[in-house]
Amino acid sequence: MIELPPTKLLAEAVEYFRGAQVITWCTKHVADRLRALVPWEVQTEMPSLDGADWLLAVGGGTLIDKAKVLRAQHSHVKLAALPTLWGSGAEASPIAVLNQDGKKVIRMGPELLPDLIVSQSEFAKTLPDQQIKQACGDAWSHALEGFLSPLGTDETRTDLAAVMKRMLQQTIGYTDAWFELSALACAGQAKSSVGLVHGIAHTLEGVLGWGHARLCALYLLPVMSFNQTRSPKWPFLAEHGLDETNLLKVLRQLFDLTEYAEALPALKSNWMKVLRDPCSRTNSALVRPADIEFFEAFLA
Amino acid sequence: MTNKEKLQNLIQDVFLLTPEEFRFDLKRIEIETWDSFGVVSLSVGVQQTFGYHFKPEEATAIQGVDDIIKLLTSKGITFE
Repeated sequence: MIELPPTKLLAEAVEYFRGAQVITWCTKHVADRLRALVPWEVQTEMPSLDGADWLLAVGGGTLIDKAKVLRAQHSHVKLAALPTLWGSGAEASPIAVLNQDGKKVIRMGPELLPDLIVSQSEFAKTLPDQQIKQACGDAWSHALEGFLSPLGTDETRTDLAAVMKRMLQQTIGYTDAWFELSALACAGQAKSSVGLVHGIAHTLEGVLGWGHARLCALYLLPVMSFNQTRSPKWPFLAEHGLDETNLLKVLRQLFDLTEYAEALPALKSNWMKVLRDPCSRTNSALVRPADIEFFEAFLA
Repeated sequence: MTNKEKLQNLIQDVFLLTPEEFRFDLKRIEIETWDSFGVVSLSVGVQQTFGYHFKPEEATAIQGVDDIIKLLTSKGITFE
């Protein structure tokens, strides 16, 4: 059973927080809209938590992860997370991925889990279709890599299979359901691990300057094609009632051949860094130095 | 390819060693990449290469390449 922190709509949360000292930290692109919805001050820079009862973090995975670490330094402060788009699932996991000196650092611990998820799905409705598509890829990468992880158990696979069956019913586009499904996928994979998709994304984000979700969406199809013929866990998909033809059909919608060709030189020149990434080392199939040839051939 | 050659290739690939760095008497403490992630990666690689899935307690008890050979030999995989 995947458990999520309690969830409230933003309007409900405003009532719930009444009388409490709430510090709100949000990304710039939603600051003006958020100010019209909440009765307290909204900050776009990392705030001080002196005197705070709650920290409300509003943004994508990067901001929410920073807020988790900030709150962990103030144990008396509770954390509410409002994701402006699904995908990262940061609002639902006890993990924070931080960018330190160009290197991804992963922290994990119960003190990083938000106390409350706040929902305001309207923030995502005005985002470009491409960004929405990439967010779906990010959610799918958590669900599939968590399911296939060598650290997974029958329980995590059963839970994530149930999530993926619901994901298969969604279009690759805006639907409110993606917020919950993305949170469940991330909380589910937090009990196992991610794999090569994340190893590649973590390595190439700094090299190409592309976002995490964009890279996850791009590499899902090639990496799952790689896993399909090598991973001892791949047959579990069918055993849990997931049709691999349908799965690969979805991953093809997320794939972009032009971007793949553009990114391939960076993947080749950084392949050894990819292999050293902790996520690659918990991939469902062993990733060897010579396997770059698979990803070169995938272009054809 | 013999099982010995398969194991050497596997160890080199899992722990990112050159052929010159590899020895059959290598110990875990000599290999920087044989950390907890390396244990997972080794387990996956052994399953793919030799078809044997380490139990968690077996994987963490292995202290060197010779332990892998002993364990796999006890499961009927020969390294002559």
